[in-house]
Amino acid sequence: MAASSQPLLRVTGVTHRFGLVTALFGVNLEIFPGDFLAIFGPNGAGKTTLLRVIASLIRPTRGRVEFTDGQRARSQVGYVSHQSLLYPDLSGIENLVFYGQLYSLPNPRERALQLLEQVGLSSSAELLVRGYSRGMKQRLTLARALLHEPPLMLLDEPYTGLDQHGARLLTSVLKSLRGQRRTVLLITHNLREGYELCTRMLIANRGEIVFGARREDLDYPSLEARYFEAVDD
Amino acid sequence: MKNTALGKALGTIWIIARKDLVVELRSKQAFLTTLFFAVLILLIFNFAFPTGSQATREAGAGILWVALLFPGVIQLNRSFQSETEEGTLYGLILAPLDRGLLFLGKCLANWIFLFCIDLFVLVLFLVFFNFSFGWHVLWLLLLLLLVSIGFTGVGTVFAAMLASLRARDVMLPVLLFPVIVPIILAGVNAAQEVLMGGDQEFFRYWVNLLVAFDVIFLSAGYLLFEYVVGE
Repeated sequence: MAASSQPLLRVTGVTHRFGLVTALFGVNLEIFPGDFLAIFGPNGAGKTTLLRVIASLIRPTRGRVEFTDGQRARSQVGYVSHQSLLYPDLSGIENLVFYGQLYSLPNPRERALQLLEQVGLSSSAELLVRGYSRGMKQRLTLARALLHEPPLMLLDEPYTGLDQHGARLLTSVLKSLRGQRRTVLLITHNLREGYELCTRMLIANRGEIVFGARREDLDYPSLEARYFEAVDD
Repeated sequence: MKNTALGKALGTIWIIARKDLVVELRSKQAFLTTLFFAVLILLIFNFAFPTGSQATREAGAGILWVALLFPGVIQLNRSFQSETEEGTLYGLILAPLDRGLLFLGKCLANWIFLFCIDLFVLVLFLVFFNFSFGWHVLWLLLLLLLVSIGFTGVGTVFAAMLASLRARDVMLPVLLFPVIVPIILAGVNAAQEVLMGGDQEFFRYWVNLLVAFDVIFLSAGYLLFEYVVGE
């Protein structure tokens, strides 16, 4: 069940075209505070485009994305994609302090140290990101996205390229986000990981949302069956 | 001033520029390549034109600007290429800041690098082509300052526009140089007046023109950057 009856974000009739290719067809979606929403779908389903539209990185060809408190998307979202959004020639702490300054945080260094502690990177804070492993980068990416305590976290395939250890660390950070009742939109190919983390799930295919359910209403085998049924259509 | 809107805006510009300066000083990729290319151009012209001849004096202004502007494209290209490699451009776009300030910050960093390279190239130019070090060097410095501001202003906008294209290295000079023709013309003519000991009136005319173009190009960049990085 949604944590609140008033949605945090409303996506209404969003269509997006890249030239002749239509990536999204009239998508409607509501995200409620405290939701951990997982969107599954094959390549080309429009998941990343939807996330970028929500993050205001691209303007939809048609339709609207609105935060119900009227705020602009840029200050409302923390964005994690398969790219790190980090500067390899800056250290971990320099990256966080730089972004913290852009978000006008009152004490960016203090906040950066706090987050580095939270994601287990305190001892590597002064190292250049160029020397970080993929797992360390991904944890720093999460810290960067959490800097300004955004009401909505957007995670686009955060498990891409992670080894088992990195994936486990990431899962523990995501579980702590869920524990804090943060609102999260997770895009993933990994049905098992997504299912275990989410409170609500959607399946996207060919630019449309073709299925949606709450986690308590659907067990994992049923999700798998629904997924392949929807994707094979 | 720290708490005023202007102070905050200047602070943001400096945060972005300082980040670019630190990243470039650590990687030294664009700076050294640009400098090397500029020195190479000077050397080639130095071999091609007999030192101290009338032909060299007459062609001097053209040689100077070719050595300054063509290598500058490398710096401009690199400034946004590095932002796309790890998706950091998205990080900048997502930050709740005026995108015009983002333009001014990137522009300031590009300008600082290019101006440092320009100073070095100017000294080499005067030595290689046997021009004296006198008061006229100050006028040349003024021209370097004004031309590099306009050049980086337009160049930063185009570099951002082309950042996601695979052919950006080829496209940038092709798009940039036609647009900055007025700046190049003014720079070459004003430098000609300085190097040949020409008319002060003409020099002032070209300088005024450069100032006007700088203001226009920087204002346009500030206003258009929102749309350039918007999609």
